[in-house]
Parts: sequence; C-alpha cells; structure tokens
Amino acid sequence: MAEKIPSISKINELFQNKEMKPSELFEQVYETASYTESVLHAHLELFYDEGLKLSKESDKRYTKNESFGLLDGIPIAIKDNINIYGYKTTCSSKMLSNYVSPYDATVVTSLKKAGTIFTGKTNLDEFAMGSSTENSAYGPTKNPWNPNFVPGGSSGGSAAVVSAGSAVASLGSDTGGSIRQPASFCGVVGFKPTYGTVSRYGLIAFASSLDQIGPITNTVDDTRIIFNEIQGYDSKDATSITPEYTKLENKKIKVGILKELMQEGVSNESQNEVNKVVNLLKEKGHDVTEISLPLTEMALSVYYLIAPAECSANLSRFDGVRYGIREDASTSYEMMNKTRSVGFGEEVKKRILLGTYALSAGYFDEYYGRALKVRSKIITDFKTAFDEVDFILSPTTPTPAFGFGEKTKNPLEMYLSDLCTIPANLAGLPAISIPTGLSENNLPLSVQIMGKPCSDYSLIDFAESIEEMVEFNFSPNLLKENNES
Amino acid sequence: MNLKATIGMETHVELDTKSKMFCSCEVVETDEPNISVCPTCLGLPGALPVPNKTAIEYIVMLSLGANCNITNEGMFHRKNYFYPDLPKNYQISQFDFPVGVNGSLEIVLDEELHSVEIERVHMEEDTGKSVHIGSGRIDSATSTLLDFNRSGIPLVEVVTKPVISNSKMAVAYIEELRQLVIDLGISKGKLEKGNLRFDANISVANEDSNELGTKVEIKNMNSLKSLEKAIDYEIMRQSKQIEKGESVIQETRHWDENKQVTISMRTKEGSADYRYFSDPDLPNMIIDEEFINNSKKNIQNLPTDKRKTLKESGLSLSDSNYLDKGDKWLYDLYLSTVENTKDSKSTFNFLTGELQGQMRKAEIDELPDWVDSEKISNLINLFETNEVSFTSAKDILAKLLGEDIDPISYATDNNLIQSSDDEEIKTLVTSVIKENQDIVERLEDPEDKLVGFLVGQVMKSSENKVNPGSVKDILLKELFG
Repeated sequence: MAEKIPSISKINELFQNKEMKPSELFEQVYETASYTESVLHAHLELFYDEGLKLSKESDKRYTKNESFGLLDGIPIAIKDNINIYGYKTTCSSKMLSNYVSPYDATVVTSLKKAGTIFTGKTNLDEFAMGSSTENSAYGPTKNPWNPNFVPGGSSGGSAAVVSAGSAVASLGSDTGGSIRQPASFCGVVGFKPTYGTVSRYGLIAFASSLDQIGPITNTVDDTRIIFNEIQGYDSKDATSITPEYTKLENKKIKVGILKELMQEGVSNESQNEVNKVVNLLKEKGHDVTEISLPLTEMALSVYYLIAPAECSANLSRFDGVRYGIREDASTSYEMMNKTRSVGFGEEVKKRILLGTYALSAGYFDEYYGRALKVRSKIITDFKTAFDEVDFILSPTTPTPAFGFGEKTKNPLEMYLSDLCTIPANLAGLPAISIPTGLSENNLPLSVQIMGKPCSDYSLIDFAESIEEMVEFNFSPNLLKENNES
Repeated sequence: MNLKATIGMETHVELDTKSKMFCSCEVVETDEPNISVCPTCLGLPGALPVPNKTAIEYIVMLSLGANCNITNEGMFHRKNYFYPDLPKNYQISQFDFPVGVNGSLEIVLDEELHSVEIERVHMEEDTGKSVHIGSGRIDSATSTLLDFNRSGIPLVEVVTKPVISNSKMAVAYIEELRQLVIDLGISKGKLEKGNLRFDANISVANEDSNELGTKVEIKNMNSLKSLEKAIDYEIMRQSKQIEKGESVIQETRHWDENKQVTISMRTKEGSADYRYFSDPDLPNMIIDEEFINNSKKNIQNLPTDKRKTLKESGLSLSDSNYLDKGDKWLYDLYLSTVENTKDSKSTFNFLTGELQGQMRKAEIDELPDWVDSEKISNLINLFETNEVSFTSAKDILAKLLGEDIDPISYATDNNLIQSSDDEEIKTLVTSVIKENQDIVERLEDPEDKLVGFLVGQVMKSSENKVNPGSVKDILLKELFG
C-alpha cells in the first residue's frame, strides 16, 4: 500500500493532533522503500534501526507537546555526498566504498537539531558528475514514473525517493543542475538556493564555486520549510554569507522569459510548459516580457572548463593514503596512481583530465582564465537583467527524462541536458524547478524560475503561486501500479 | 677568470599562532603523532578551510616590518602537487597576489650596513611530516609513517631578490629576519625547532657578466652553520665546474651534514607545473587601511630601532648588532645599566664578557630576579673607579648570581674596598722602601721590572686594600721624584 505523502505542514498537523505518530510515518515510508527500492535502487543504504529509534523519541516529544518544530519526525533522505557521522559517504564511487565519516555536515547537524529522521543515503552519479545517475559505481537509479527512463542526475536517488514516497523529502546538491534536473525528471520540486546561503561544510566537493546543497520535495511549501532550517551563516564555510533576503514590494510581478532557452535545442514539449505558465501569469495580471542574455549560450562551455578545473584539485585528496580504498604497490606514488586508476570511474577521470589540462601552464589563460572572464560577464548580465525583471522563467530541462544508455555514448548530448540549469550556478542565483505537466509519453515536465541573489524566499513564494495555478496532481506509475495491486 | 656568486633566499617562517591556519586545531609541540588533527587539516572529504585572522595579522606585520607594500586584496591559490604528507594533494598558498611585495631588510656586516631587497612575503600552510622507516629518504624507506600535527600550521614565505653575494651576508640576513619575527612576536624563531627553514638559490657567473649563471637550489636548511658551509661549498663547486669549462646543471640539492657536501636531489627540467589557481573555498583577503593600522599598533622596537638606540648609547655598529640579536633581557639590562654607568664600552664588555660568561658557566639561562641594573651598574662603577679590583668585581658578581646581595655593602663588609688615601699609601711605601734597600739600589729607571715587585710588596703589606695604580704613582714619585 502506498499513499501519496501529505505535505510537511499537514504531517505536522497530524502529529500535533495525535492522529499519526512519527514512528508510524517512518514505518510507512520504510515499507514503501522496501518494495520501491527493488525496482528503483534509489537508496544506497537505509537506516532502519536508528530511524525507528529516533522516530520513537520524536513520538514522545509530540506526546509531551514538546516537539522541535515542523520538521520533527519527518523522514528525509540524504544524498550520499553529504556526510553523516558514523555512516558511509561513498559519493557512489568505488574510491570511498569503505569510507565512514567521522563528522556531520552542517546541514545534517541542522536537520538533526530539528528532529528530522534520516531514511538513509541516496544514489548519485559518481562524485555528482553526471545527469542520469548512470555514472554510479553501484548501478543506476530508475525513474519512478517509468523504470525504463533515467531519474536524472546527479541527485537522481534523492529525486526518485521523494517521487516514490520512500522519503518525505531529501537533500541533494546542485553544481550545474543536479537538484533541479532530476527533480524535473521525477516530477517533484527541486531548489538550488543562492550560493553561500547554505553551508557546504561536509558536502564532498565537486566544484566548490558552484556546489550548493538544497531540498527536493513534493511541494514548494516543503521546500520553504527545509530551506528555512538549513540556510544561514556557518563559520565553518568561508564562502558562507549572512543572507539579507530581499522581499517583493509589488503584487504585480515582472517575469522575464529567457529567449536563449526558448529556441532550437529545447524541445517543443519543454517550451510549451513555459508558454502554459506564461498564460496563467498573464491571466493573473503579471507582466511577462522576453529578455535576451546572449552569453547564456556560452554557459555550458564556461561550465565545462570551470567545474572540471576545480574538481581536478578537489579530487586530488583521494589518493589511498589516509582513507578510502588502497591498491598495493611498491612505492607511494605507484600506490596513489593505481588507487586512483581503480577507484575512479570513467566520467570522473575524464573530468579530472579535462580540468588538469585547462589549468596547465600554457593553456591556463586560453581556457580556465578565459572561462572566468566570461563567467564574470554572465554575472553582470544577470544583474542587469534583474534590474528589469523580478524573476526569469525557463524550462528546467530541454527534454523530459531520457532512456537508459540513450546519451551515455555521446557525452556532449548528456551535457546538454543541463543547458537551462547551469547559468544559475555560474551566477550564484537561486533557482527552483516545479513540475507543471506531463509529456506525450507520460513523463513529468517542469519550469525553472531564477531570482536575483538572496531573493530565495520571494522566489519560493512566487513558485508557490505558480504551483497553485498549474495544479500538477499526477503520481508516478510505480505508486499507481502498487495501489491497484 | 673572476667569478661572482649571486644568492637569493627563500625562508619559511612558522608563525606562533594558537591554532592552525585553516582550522581550529591547536598548534602543538610534541612527538606524539596525530593528536592535533581534524577533518580540515587531514583533508577529509567535505571539510573546508577557514582562514585564521591572527595569522593574516601576523603576515601583515611581517610585511610591514620588512618594509613591503601591502596588497589590499590578497588571494589564496591552490598549489597542486601529489605528496603523501600533503593531505589535499594541493597546498593552499599565494601566487600572483601575495600579502607583501617589494620590501627590504637592513643587515649588518662587521661595521657596515647593507640592504637586502625582499621580493615577496606570502602566506601558506605547512604540510604533514613523513617519517621514513628503514632509511632517511622516501625512495629507499621500507615504510613511511605520517604525522599530521604540523599539517596546516601557518607559514610565511619570505623571498629575497637575487642580491646576496656570499655566505656571510646570507647568514646576516637570516639573523636579521629571525630577530624581526621574534621582535614582532609572531614566531618563536627557534632555528633548532625548524621555526625558520631556508632554501638558498645560488648561481655563479663571470664577474663582468650582466646575466646570472645557472641556478642551483639548496633546500631545507635550518642551521646558520649549515647555511654558511653549504653556500661556500656550492660556490666552490660551481666555480670549479665553470673554470673547467663545464656547465652547471639546474637542479635541487641538499646539504649533507655528515659528508659536508651538497648532494643532488632532482634535476629540474623546466619548472614544475603547479597549476596554481585561486582557491574557490576562500574569498579574497581584504587588507584595508583599518586592518593595516591595527596591525601597525602591534609593531614596536624592531631590530633596526633597537640597533639605533644602542648606537646612540655609544656602541659600535657591530656591538650594537650583537646586543640587537641577543636575548631581550640583556638588551634591556644594557640600556638601563648604561644610563647609570655612562660608559657604553665597559658596560657592554662587562655584560657580554663577565655576566654572560659566568651565567654560561653556572648554567643559568635567566638572570635571577634580584639582579637589576642598579646592582650591576654599582658593581661596574666600583671597579671602574678603582674602588674594588677587577678580580674582586668578578667575585662579587659570582656571589650576586647566587644570592641577593648589595654589591657595595658586600664589598665594604668583606674588606674589598681599596684605599686611595695617599697618606696611608705613602706610609706603606716608605716602609717598603726602607725594608728593600738592596732592590731600590738596583733600580735604573721607572720602567724597571723591579718597580712591579715593589708595588706587589706594598699591596701585600696592605692586604690588597689599596689601589695598585695609586701605589705605583706614589712609589715612583718617592724613588725618582
């Protein structure tokens, strides 16, 4: 039996009114996981024993009316590149197959304090490098809407568990779209906050200047609740900021449609979702205008220089010396070589090589240096654009979910699936993906809304109003089939 | 063929901060391995660096002390290379925006002042320590143990321009730099503990040539003696090769203390590619006027200032430099003592000769707290005015180091005061002349050695209570008129 999970506020109401206990919800979610996992492979590890124990402690708090708040007793899944003390953090890599973290990520500490129960760790593309979860060393995750399709990536596991109901919500990480793209493929809400508002401490770095942790949820309100808990300055992260969130003064909102993401390269199906939302917005009396940011077309190229360059250094620490797997060899350098050859998968190696090359003497200026310059121009362009509009609307992905193996042979095509999401990472902007409809073959489609830095809460408010307008009430087939059986 | 050497120094200074550069681990001095480590300094997955503000303040102080221009927006870069004791396999360092640039340090060679130009002063983190088992070197060890207590300790690298011409100058430069970091209070400056470690870049070329010769780097020395010998050896080695018409290979060598030679470590084919790039985990260091002014507040009495004060007291440049580089208590004691004695040379000699000598002999590191400048200056005055003999003064000092005595009353109580009363001496002289008529008759002139014998007799009869100078004067007057 599987039911569509209510929103976090609704669950909290049930808990408060003693109509349901956190341990009952945990058991329900675990039961869902126990049959969906065999199909989906979305969780890499489930924390049943500890989860049950903690949810019973939560039960007691509600009995005594001493709950920690909205998230107390809520089962949340964590992407397996975020450290939880005492549990493995594998990054879906063979390299870290035996690595147990001796500390909590700051976001994990925040959620623990809020009384959240962790369901377990979710699958991802190795070290968050990929767009389909096909790059996991432990096998791919399937899309709950149709197991023949990918759930997207890199936070494919985190999106699939929310979609399938084996967790109420999840945390993912987003470097070039890794929260929003899988959320879109799985028909759930995915939010990448403003760079610096959520601490990266304890998130295993892919590309430090782009990485950002964020929630994947069923509703926009759930996103608001989780973001509210994990955001804020952290003294352990030097890039962390003390956010001063902007508010929307006007009821009448100005929305820009990004021309460069509404042309060839983006499917009609995806463009139609934007047009559908545009009509609804106009009906509500909002201003909608087309805007053009020509450099958006270079975002993908810029990203594929900056992200690999940073990753080439970030992944140097995996050398077999202090943790992770170690291959035997007669000298230390040989050991490091062998360990890295065996421990990393193909995509990771490709990006390390690409990044190393881009940073090398003689090539630095031409590649990495130039990419940095274009990046700062992209930032300026967005700043100018946000003088004119409050939000920018676009598709989240050029197409709905694709089939397994469809793009693995052609990396460029795979990289193109992040076409619409990458600009927000380069400019450090908050961006949210919300499901709006289904494709011809019954796969979810979404729109993405970007806001200016630190507009996170007003962006969430605006997304919620769109959520209400579009009334996306579909459930994945997996749940339906099980309901019928 | 006349050859000249050109030397540039790169010195790593370990800062004396409470915690490490990018985490809150305590900086510890211990042989017990891996007791002060955390996710950040171990390079664990997901850990992030957060800069230590005190360390940045210290490097700004050092840059100012070395007369550098301060970069207002400094950047941290990643220096990429693989080594087992480098936890992240990149070192957080600085590349094109170091904290301090274009400075200079004033150094003293004998009685001359020289200036050594500083190219840059930048910040970086220290690596862990490899302990090679079965051999001292990684390539021949049977196994290697790693200790990360040192990993992440803040280091400042001070790089000179190639302006040093010999080993003595290099040593004087390191002494000056060491004193600067001690006087700034930013490093313990203990060479034996590796608080300062230096590399010397040495090249030899024809004296008339405008171009430098091939550069050879001698890495990782921490004693002045090794530095001096290594540079002398290397200049000799390169000169011999050039004189034989052979070319010098660009390489890194190290000083072998046992064999007293430099040995090749690795040949540099071009320069290593460290793929420096700005560390995305660390925002730029904004060092604004306010920060600089706050750092300036902690800067006072640097080696150059001290040297100036000492010189103004009447000391020579080299004596001034000697006290400048010595312990702080000696410097303070000298200045307060000379105020009373008004005699810089004798005060300097007494303090650096007698006092330090006796302390060394008695194995006392610190001056007992009852010994102050008043007692010392009284003691110096006693023998300078001939009230006590120098031998007595030495005895009084020895006593003073052992217990709290007042030198003047001690001299009086123990009958060490010499009489300069002419009448009393005259009486003694008259009787000695009378008793030694045979000798008096053999005297030829005032320079006669026998005069000394007679002075001795007078001293003896006074039980050493009279001033030998006065005795001689009166004796000669009596004998030769």
